[in-house]
Amino acid sequence: MTRRARLWVLAAGLLAVAALYAAACTQLPGFGGSWHPYGDRAVRAALQQRTANAVSSVNFDLRGFDTLGEESVLFASVLGTVVLLRRTRDEKRVPPEPVRVPAPLRRYGRLMLPVTLLIGLYVIAHGQLSPGGGFQGGVVAATSLHLLYIAVDYPALERFRPLGLYELADGAGEAAYVLLGAAGLIAGSAYLANVLPPGTFNTLSSGGTVPLLNAAVGIEVTSAVVVLLAHFLAQALEIEGEREEGRST
Amino acid sequence: MDDAVVVAALVLVAAAATAAVLQRDPARQAIVLSLLGLSLAALFTVLQAPDVGLAQLAVGSAVTPLMILLTVRKVRQRKGRPK
Amino acid sequence: MNWWLAAACALVAGGLGPCLWGAARGTAGRRVVAQNMATLLLCLVFLLLAQGYGRPSYVDLALVVAVLGPAGTLVFTRLLGDEMEARPPGARLLTPAVLVGAPATVVPMCVATGPGRASVKLVFTGVLLIAGGAVTSRAVRRG
Repeated sequence: MTRRARLWVLAAGLLAVAALYAAACTQLPGFGGSWHPYGDRAVRAALQQRTANAVSSVNFDLRGFDTLGEESVLFASVLGTVVLLRRTRDEKRVPPEPVRVPAPLRRYGRLMLPVTLLIGLYVIAHGQLSPGGGFQGGVVAATSLHLLYIAVDYPALERFRPLGLYELADGAGEAAYVLLGAAGLIAGSAYLANVLPPGTFNTLSSGGTVPLLNAAVGIEVTSAVVVLLAHFLAQALEIEGEREEGRST
Repeated sequence: MDDAVVVAALVLVAAAATAAVLQRDPARQAIVLSLLGLSLAALFTVLQAPDVGLAQLAVGSAVTPLMILLTVRKVRQRKGRPK
Repeated sequence: MNWWLAAACALVAGGLGPCLWGAARGTAGRRVVAQNMATLLLCLVFLLLAQGYGRPSYVDLALVVAVLGPAGTLVFTRLLGDEMEARPPGARLLTPAVLVGAPATVVPMCVATGPGRASVKLVFTGVLLIAGGAVTSRAVRRG
């Protein structure tokens, strides 16, 4: 088929798609209405469970099993990355070059590490009350640790990052979520059912199992991101194959 | 009139995504992708989805650019290009 | 549509738009400066949206941007530092922007919220924003 014929076929196809798409768009419901059948039911169920953040209620209570799947996706992808980025036999580890970092920047990094970590823990702990939760807070907490790399230098990060412990914590967080689900079975209900007392609305202990699952996801995501970045950093800064020469920080 | 903010955010996201695709150098693309992440976080927030916005913010501001730039550095080292 | 939302819309269109323009073209230094300015403006946008929609929980988003935004800029100065020039264009706008923008947003919001824990959170966010802005504007100029 010549190029012109191909382009004519493409034009015909695109025209047909455009016509069908326009016809479908005229049948869409209005944008941003105040009523949605699923939204109404979800919010009512969340309030029944006394969880102020309806999204967290959907994630960890009403559809907790889906979140287990998502967490496992993160866990599996970090596992795959660790395998792919491991140091092979023809690669050797070399110390990274030292880099000069101005003193105000070092002070900022050392000061903001606990502040950012606390903000991350705050977002995890308040997942059932305000926007946030285990995933968001976990990534913020993991980023706080890496302020040591970007605002100080790589050896400072290595001193504060015992990698084995983080790998252990990753597995522990994943296992904690699975085992907390089993608590529902032990209490005579379904797997991942919310069997703890729901507590008072809009307090830290409300929502039953939601804060506990948030904490488990928080631990898992923090450790997973730290382990992931550790392997990227090691490959880019420390590990040299036989064909590479020179490295930097 | 609330729609004005939504329209502004939508246009910004479309522009940022187009700009990201038109960048050819991966290191420069990381910067535009960081801006795309920020625009998406703003869009999700004006559409009243702050949890998603917070997740986008957390991942897109520091972790993703770090991974991209470390990968670019490693690939350039292997090719032997001077840094 | 109240004044807060109008201000947020103006910042998105008139602030983040030019930042995108600056980040998409030009030298590495100019792009990183644009990214830094964008994180600063985004924090202010979130604060204005929190007030405009009447949802104080959105201040958490501004709090996270105030700490992660500078972290993102520092990632770029660290890993692209040798490609950035010593005095990138627009870098001298960063410090005045944060010193004017942060109080100009936080103080009216504190007045509207009244004294209490919410105001303390707002002031804390403003302080983090100014600290992050000061450090990153110097880091960007060093190249």
